Formats: sequence, structure tokens, C-alpha cells
Amino acid sequence: MADRALAGLRVVELTDEIGSYCGRLLADLGAEVIKVEPPGGGVQRATPPFYRDHVSPDTSLAFWIHNTSKKSVVLDLETPEGRAAAYRLVLSADALIEDRQPGFLADRSLGYAALHSEKPSLVYTSITGFGQSGPHAGYAYSDIVGQAMGGLMTLAGEPADPPNLVYGHQADVSASIQAAQGTLIALLHAEATGFGQHVDVSAQEAVSISQETAMQTWDLQKRNRVRTGERGMLPVSLPGVGVYPARGGYVSLFVLAPGGADFPELVNWMRERGMAEDLDEPPYADLCNALTMAMLTQALGDPSKLEDLAPALAHVNAGLGRFFASLTPTEAYEEGQGRRLLVGIVSTPQDLGQNTQLRARHWFKQLSFDYLNATVEFPGPPYRLSETPALIARPPRLGEHTAEVLAALP
Amino acid sequence: MSTRPLAGLRVADFSWFGAGPIGAQTLGTFGAEVVRVESETRVDSLRVVQPFALEPDGSYKTGYNVSGYFNNYNAAKFSLQLNLNLPRGQQLAYRLIERSDVFITNFTPRVIEKWNLRYEQIAAVNPRVVAAYAPMQGLVGPHRDFLGFGAVLTPVTGISHMSGFPDRPPVGVGTNYPDYVVNPGHTVTAILAALRYRNRTGKGQLIELPQIESVVNVLGTAVLDYLANGANPGRGGNRSSVAAPHGVYRCQDDPSSVNSPDRWLAVACPGDAEWAALCEALGHPEAVSDPRFATFADRKANEDALDALVGQWTAPLRAEDAMTALQAHGVPAGVVQNAQDLLDRDPHMRARGYYRYLDHPETGRAAYDGPAFVLSETPGELTAPAPLLGQHTMEVCERILGLSTDEVADLLAEGVLL
Repeated sequence: MADRALAGLRVVELTDEIGSYCGRLLADLGAEVIKVEPPGGGVQRATPPFYRDHVSPDTSLAFWIHNTSKKSVVLDLETPEGRAAAYRLVLSADALIEDRQPGFLADRSLGYAALHSEKPSLVYTSITGFGQSGPHAGYAYSDIVGQAMGGLMTLAGEPADPPNLVYGHQADVSASIQAAQGTLIALLHAEATGFGQHVDVSAQEAVSISQETAMQTWDLQKRNRVRTGERGMLPVSLPGVGVYPARGGYVSLFVLAPGGADFPELVNWMRERGMAEDLDEPPYADLCNALTMAMLTQALGDPSKLEDLAPALAHVNAGLGRFFASLTPTEAYEEGQGRRLLVGIVSTPQDLGQNTQLRARHWFKQLSFDYLNATVEFPGPPYRLSETPALIARPPRLGEHTAEVLAALP
Repeated sequence: MSTRPLAGLRVADFSWFGAGPIGAQTLGTFGAEVVRVESETRVDSLRVVQPFALEPDGSYKTGYNVSGYFNNYNAAKFSLQLNLNLPRGQQLAYRLIERSDVFITNFTPRVIEKWNLRYEQIAAVNPRVVAAYAPMQGLVGPHRDFLGFGAVLTPVTGISHMSGFPDRPPVGVGTNYPDYVVNPGHTVTAILAALRYRNRTGKGQLIELPQIESVVNVLGTAVLDYLANGANPGRGGNRSSVAAPHGVYRCQDDPSSVNSPDRWLAVACPGDAEWAALCEALGHPEAVSDPRFATFADRKANEDALDALVGQWTAPLRAEDAMTALQAHGVPAGVVQNAQDLLDRDPHMRARGYYRYLDHPETGRAAYDGPAFVLSETPGELTAPAPLLGQHTMEVCERILGLSTDEVADLLAEGVLL
């Protein structure tokens, strides 16, 4: 049996939507992660979609995806008995991960100060919307609030539309990923020195580096980056850059970016499929040959220089549109990349489930759900460690390990 | 006791663009010494793209050292210029790796092989090295050599298809989103776990982080819904299956918000209590008894009308005032902030000191993202600004690689340190 990187570590988590993924990362790497849940379960266990529309705390895919490889213990922190058991359980652990409002656990005798003084080596990680200090520390939080306040949403979407939410609870996920790093650094430090500490993660801060260059653009140039929709960072639309409808879906192109084959290779491809139309002929042939990073840079510097070319560029773009509309997204992706053109498929979940590369790499993992008499395929872990693999085990049923874990407490 | 928990570790950073350098920077922030290997023969594109620092007359500064995009991900690193296309450059790379604890790259396998930096090769030099390879598609497989970075990765991983309004094309999310937290954060998580294993056993190992796998793993329930249920979900806009209202609502414009005057407020009401509190906070307590919105199911059933109503209420308000009022009633609400807000106007970000300001010889004083996790006893620190290209070539060659000044001079003349 493979060695596990985090073998021998016990982590107790009091998390729901914000912090669950942090615990999952540690659990898949081999830590014993015990999730303490309220009677009936938390928000994630009640969140759709459910397995085959079977609504129960043990069948939420939203819970499953962020809670693999954990144990579940139900404790009612609103009772003295529940708090006492939680206290003993945390003291048996190397780390606590929690995502309650600041003060919630302190009010229940489970705050950092109390636990740290009782067990100085404990790593205590708090993952909240706005962190443990500052004027907004007590603010109510939800993923969309984190994405908004962290600067992500203002950049996403079409200029004429409201700012877009990035799918997948990315403020929560970012907070969890930041917290996993902080927790591990603190655990390494505790193992070296015997001293634990408080790891404080604010979801607002956790996502904010994902503003890309918006922060630096304001800092250096006192301009705000705004959402530009399909055009991305380009001031004008250029052929070979952006989203194109394909047969039954979409592709996303960035042919003018450095690193890939140049635009004429795209025309070669169109020619081989009998769809180059007049792009091989004057005046378009010369224009296609000139569509390079240099033109892109020029366009970024002074869009007005492209005004004379606008009708010809639109003509080329229309030809591209007809070409990609004739291909399925997967055909366009695999053939285009085979020519070293920067073509991306706009993958649907089904495309990802059938993705040639992911399937060839055996990325998806079969998990057995004995209580459903079912085997369910899961997305695999984010990384492969040659000596200490990340392994995914079935997420726990609500309270599945309560008796076993409590019985073993000193 | 060291207050820099990763002090004593050296990171050989052979990465570029966003995902690799950010991960290496995180390790540096907590005490590791990071040597960033670069070459003018293949300069990191981020060094030459916007945003550039400005000259006093408002024109852009030029050169390799004035991009805020690059600088923000490379604080406190030592820049070593090394031409890896030359055999002598590759030998020096091995010498650096021999003296390092962590190796990071996100080049494609094709380039890695050209430079003779495959794991078997570097592990032969240093079996204790924790080696993280983060190419887009992984080191093996039929799509191994597919090209791309965030701009392609966002659509390929399903983020574009799943984000935005259902009646709009999948235009993506405005940034190369996976580059900044998901991929570097997963990379560092794996490295730290591998370092713990090394502490216990003395053994290094290979970490392979295919960016596509790293990102799809955090694509919510979308792929699991396909695998488990055969569903193929799509864009859901700003709505939620567990909260209503849930979205962003237009507020009064703010002309002082530079070239971004439209203001929006994000709101999430998970339950009836929050909905009642919202009505109260925005001065419309009578709406609580509107039968169209009485229960969560009612609000979902009448969500267009609900969104229109909340939008009417917020339209005349300053976004900050609406946020304050809602938060005072316990309703999750936040302004859709831009960078100006985050850097200059958000009192909370300022009080927490998230952004760090560092003096850089060419850009002047500039802001950097600070660590996004605060460790109470061993807080991370950005100890220096980003390096100029090749700023530490001499120092790294002599202090770390153990070369003499004469040897360095020869290597410079031969174009190895270029």
C-alpha cells in the first residue's frame, strides 16, 4: 500500500461551504480528517444536485465533491455535551479547520485562545468571508459576496450586462486552497518546533489575486480594468481571437498569442478542408500573413491604426466563422491543436467526462457507494505525487463515524 | 525560533507566466530562497505586457522590468539568467537543482525534454528534490503537447461554459482565472505535503499537476453531475439553487470610480429570515407579505419579478450605503468592487494590510498582493520587490553555484548567462 504524505495527522473540521474543500485536500493526501457536523447536516448536504434526484443528506453532489476521504461525526454544539465532546476531539487533533463567523466558536468554548493555551502545538485554521480582524470581520458572507468584494465579478461578462458570477463557488474554493497552504506551512512549523498558531483566511483576500492585472493597472496607471466580454484584453475584435460557434457548441481561439502556430497555418487548415474561400487571394492573403503578435501589439497600442483594415478584418473573421461552424468543438480542438494552433474547446461537462486526455490518463476514479448499491465515477485529484499519491475515498454519510470516533477519545 | 517557517529551503523556479511563479513566490514569502531562472532568449512574456509603470509625462516605461503583471508574482526572487538551449546552461541548471529542495516548472513536456529537465534526469542529480511539473495537459497522454495558458485553459476546463448568463455566448470570465489561485495553490499544497514526506523519509518525489485536472477538480458539481446523473448542465448566470434573491443589483453610478462608474451590489438571501431582513433594511417591509415572495420556492418561481423589484430598490442607493444597511441586518451583501476600491477605498482591506508596497528601482513604489493566509506566529513577508532580469546572475553563480568570478566571466562571454 502506498505511503501517504500526511499520514499520522489528525485534522478536525467544523466547516461547511467555505472550508470543506480545504479539508478534502488534506484528506485526499492522507490526513485523517474528521468533519464535525450539526444534527441533520449543514448547507452543503442540502444543496442540489442530488444523486439520481434522491434527496437526502447522503446524496448531495455538492457535499460529495468537497468532502471525499473524510469521516463524519455529528455533534450538537448548542448543547454542553456536544461542546465538551468537540473540545476533547479537537484536543486529539493536530489541526482544526473551521469556517464559522468570527466569535461563534469562542462563544462555545472552542475559540483559538482557549484551545491554543490547552494545546500549544495545535494549528487552528479559520476560513471566513472577511477574516478574523478588520471593520468587516463580522460581515455576513456568501460566495457571490466574496467574488464581488474580492474584485472578480467586475471583470467578468459583457460590458452591457451585470457583472458575472464565476461558476463553482470560486471564492469559497480559493479560500480553501489558500487555507490548505497556510495550514500545511503551519503544520510543518509545528512539527519542527512544537508550536502551533492561528491561520486566518479571508475569502475576499483569497480571490483577489485573481483580478489578474486589475490591481496593478490601478496602482501603476490609475485606470480600472473593466469587463470586456468576448474581446478580452483586446481593444478591438481580431480574427482568430475569441469565441466562435462550432457545430453543437463553441471553441475559443487565441491564435495570435505567442507560442503557437501563426495565422497562415489556420488558413492552411481551412484550405485542406476546402473552406479557405478567398482568404488565399488578394487582398486577404497578405492580411492573413500579417495577422501576428506584432499586429496584436500594434492594436493594443493604437487601435485607430486598424480602422482602415476593419472591413477586411471583418471579412476574414466571417470566413473563420463559417469554417468553425462546420466542425464539432472536439474536431476543431483536436485538429487545431494538432497543428499547434491555439484552439480551445469550450468544454461542457459532458465533453470533460469524455475528454480524450482525461480518459487516457485514467483520471476519473470509481467510488463505491455501498449504501446506494452503486459505483459513481468522480473527477480525480488535482495532482499526482509519485511516492505519496492523493487518493479519493467515498465521502462519509452523515454521522457515519460518530460512535467509532467518540469511543476512541481518551 | 525562526519566524520564517520555510527558511533554509531553496526553490529552483524554472517556471513562467502566472501559475508557476505564483507558487514559488508563496514559498518565498514564508522563508524559502527562490531562484528564478530566466533567459533573454526566451523572456517571460509577462515581463513585456501591460500594465507598465508610467514615466512622469504619463508615457509607458519600457524594458523588461516595468510590468506590474510580472513583478507581482516574483517578489523577493533571485533572477538568474541562464540559456537552457546550450549544454553548458543545462549543466548549470543541474548544479542549481543539486543545491535546491524544490523544483518548479510549468513548461510543456516538449520544452522540458529539449532542456533535459525530465524528472529522471534531475532526480539523478538530486534524489531529495521535490519536483513539481505543472504543464497544461500533464506529462503523458495524447494531448500532452497541446498548447495553452489561462486564456485557453478557462474554456477547456469548463469554466467558460458554466459561467455567465445562459442567453450569452461563453465568453469566459475576463481573466485567465485558473492561473492565479487554483493552479499555484494546488501546486504549493502538493509541494508542502511532499516536503513533509521528505522530512520523514529523506526522499524527494515527482509531482505532476496537469492544469486541466487541477481546474476540473474544482468545477463545482458540473462534471460529477454528468458522471453520476448523465446531466449536462450549463450557464446559470448569477442565480443559486439555494438562495433567492441571489445576484447583483444596480445602484447609483459613482463618477469617482475611474472609467468604471456603474455600481452593483451583490446580495444572497439563503432563507426567509434574510429576505425579511432585506425588505426591512431597504425600507420596504410591506414586501415581506407579498405572496409571490413568501417562501424560498415562491421566490424561485417568481425570480424575474423578484430581481426586478430588488433592482428597483437599489437603483437610487449608493452601493456602499446599501451594503452597510443590509449587513447591519445580517444579510450577505457586498459591493462589486474594482481595483480602485480594493486598493484605495475598502477600509477593511486597508485595515488588514493585505496589499504590500515595495520600492522597485525601475517602477518606483508599487503594490503587491500579500499572502492570502495570515499565520499569527510566522506571518509571511515580501522582503524585496521583483528582480530585474538577471539582477542576481553574478550573485547566484558565485554564492549558490560556487563559481569563481573568472568562470562567470567566461560563461557570460559564451552567452550561457543570457
